[in-house]
Amino acid sequence: MPPTPTDVLGNKPLDGGWGWMVVFGAHISIGFAYSTPKALSIFFKEIQEDLKASYSEIAWLSSIMLAVMYAGGPVSSVLVHRFGSRPVVMMGGLMCGVSMVTASFGSSIVYLYICTGIIGGWGLCFNLNASLTIISKYFLAKRPLANGLAMAGSPVFLCFLAPLNQFLLGQFGWRGSFLILGGMMLNCCVAGALMRPVTPSQKPPSGPQANGIQPNVGNTKKNGKCMRRTKQFVDLSFLKDRGFVIYLVGNVLYIFGAYSPIVFLSAYAVSQGVDEYSAAYLLSIMGFVDMFVRPGTGLLANSKWIRPRIQYLFSFAMVFNGTCHLLCPLMKSYPLLVAYSVFFGFSFGMVFALIFECLMDLMGNQHFPSAVGLVTIIECFPMLLGPPTAGLLVDVFHHYKYLFYMCGGVIIAGGVFLFVLNVYNYHMLEKENLEKTTEPNQNTLENQEQAETELTEPVAEEMINTAKHNPELRSSEETN
Amino acid sequence: MTASWKQILLILASCRHISTKTASPTPTPLVPEASLPAKKFELKDAIEPETIELHHHVNVTLECTWTGNQNKLPNLPGYWRKDGQERPDSHVTVELKNDQYNIKVVLIINSEESLGNYSCVFGDETEMTFVLTVPQIGEKRDKPIVSYLRDFVVMTCKMDNKHPEPSTWTWFKDNGTEKEQITVDVTPGHYEIINEKDEKTFKTKLKMRDLSDADSGVYYCGAVYPIGISMSRMELKVISFMEPVKPFLYILVEVVVLVAAVLFYERSQSKKSNTEENGSTADQRDTEPQGDAKEAEESNSVRQRKA
Repeated sequence: MPPTPTDVLGNKPLDGGWGWMVVFGAHISIGFAYSTPKALSIFFKEIQEDLKASYSEIAWLSSIMLAVMYAGGPVSSVLVHRFGSRPVVMMGGLMCGVSMVTASFGSSIVYLYICTGIIGGWGLCFNLNASLTIISKYFLAKRPLANGLAMAGSPVFLCFLAPLNQFLLGQFGWRGSFLILGGMMLNCCVAGALMRPVTPSQKPPSGPQANGIQPNVGNTKKNGKCMRRTKQFVDLSFLKDRGFVIYLVGNVLYIFGAYSPIVFLSAYAVSQGVDEYSAAYLLSIMGFVDMFVRPGTGLLANSKWIRPRIQYLFSFAMVFNGTCHLLCPLMKSYPLLVAYSVFFGFSFGMVFALIFECLMDLMGNQHFPSAVGLVTIIECFPMLLGPPTAGLLVDVFHHYKYLFYMCGGVIIAGGVFLFVLNVYNYHMLEKENLEKTTEPNQNTLENQEQAETELTEPVAEEMINTAKHNPELRSSEETN
Repeated sequence: MTASWKQILLILASCRHISTKTASPTPTPLVPEASLPAKKFELKDAIEPETIELHHHVNVTLECTWTGNQNKLPNLPGYWRKDGQERPDSHVTVELKNDQYNIKVVLIINSEESLGNYSCVFGDETEMTFVLTVPQIGEKRDKPIVSYLRDFVVMTCKMDNKHPEPSTWTWFKDNGTEKEQITVDVTPGHYEIINEKDEKTFKTKLKMRDLSDADSGVYYCGAVYPIGISMSRMELKVISFMEPVKPFLYILVEVVVLVAAVLFYERSQSKKSNTEENGSTADQRDTEPQGDAKEAEESNSVRQRKA
């Protein structure tokens, strides 16, 4: 059994130290990214009256923001790849701030679509993508925990923004609130400032040239290669990767059913006889549970038993989420609905803590930035189609239970698909490993052993990728 | 001033509906008028008050039934209360019939004063309440409407079509002592009242242009019915656009300070590590082995990758 590379993995990647400040920055950045489109809904009624828009026109604002946030993924990936995370997040923060400030002067709904929806959405997109990327650069052994902590930003900020928005609305009206929110979103620039690029002194001067690129080294010799690789990153070559396709299909199914129950939960509760305030409280309960479950799941996923089989935890979380939704129509009284919200929050938090960690696990550090761009742009479609389809079900059948059945069913299908296909994938990976190690190429083995004794970050990445193919190595690495 | 306006409006409104009505409203007489339509409302063993919305003049019969408690006395004193006050001449002796106590009263509802809380009282213990009121305007605004100086604002009141259509709508501004009605031709262009109806609601909108500080305050929209006016309260706050700008500037300063602090800290950290490195290269004895070790590491890794 090869010696454990504890002492050498050490600080590269950091897995601590300044890395936790980076996690804090990512927490803020991701928090704004996911919670702003939802928190804006508090202003809808006022804006509707002021700009004389219909309810569906106003609702499009959130949808456009979310859609642009996800659709801009590939562009964001390219920019992060070229310039590193810090400038991109600071740029994103600036764009968000400017978008909200200009939106506060708006006099038509189309103006708001452009300012808040498109420009704001782009800013959030930069924030999201770059934050995820930098986590993958700073963490490896503790990456699930870091991801869980960073993704927890979403429920934390939502809990914080929702009452704040109410207060601002009452004090300053919607225009003043947008102005102040714009200022608050400039704090993403602070988050960006925290995202110190992984400095060259922590990396060996000559990085691996095989298939990786050092995004932070602006070496002129590499500019030509950069351009070629940029094109390579935007293309769809990932679709040839088995693990990636499995992940993608499972995720598309999940996203299709994930958001509709949130959108319709209050309305469903009201239809079951709950008063409006208590119905709104259900969502707060869900958010509150979510807040603690995300880091908790990160911690769990970090443990040595789970980490090698993190894809199974992910599929379990999805199936759990789907089951909650299937059982929801049985919850007809308020205490049962509260219980549903708690379990919903729990499973939702589990899935979202792992959603990007699993992609990092599959793709590795180098391919992750562009993989995440591709994933988000494809996920744009189920995200936009999900709630209207659910709404259509409610309109056709005049009952919310079919919505929950549909969402639960689709999510469970995604989870089961992921589980079954990951069993197959792990099996195939083991087979491929065996084929590799039984080759008469002894050098490969020696190199692997030598590589373990003196590892540096990019090589550690290759290690993790090869660890996928060698369960022995993986379990030894995880005992650190 | 306002009372007379109200009375004129009511009379105008009621004239459209009932032609046999007498010219001016009178306090509720005890003898019912035969020409008014009649309605009957009953409560049996009710604990919660029952709200009844009336919009035009009616003869209302209120009836209370109580099944009594363990001590079923053959006779009980019963009477009616209006708004907490005993109604004189309403005391009767209630007999136990079919194991129940029953009391009723007939009221003429022909003015806003005749609406209110009517309670039947059995003995000393049991009380059931009918709340007679004008149709209530839904969608109460608890929070103030905020608008800006020299901007315009539109305040809306809606009555959904489960309720009857108001004869007309009016708006009032609270000037501290009383509600003053808003008339459109004062300060032309400043106020505009638009009444609309669509398939689901009856709406009224008060549009105010070129707002000033004096426009801040409490406003009431009134749905005028023959029986009375149904009011909904809302508050308007007019602020200058500078008000939200102040917190925005504070936040902007905070962001700039924090970004500068973080970058400055980073620079000082890297300077420190640079001076340490410089110090270490200068001092060869102590650092040579380490430096060699580092170089050895790096060259080993390079070797491995190439291999």
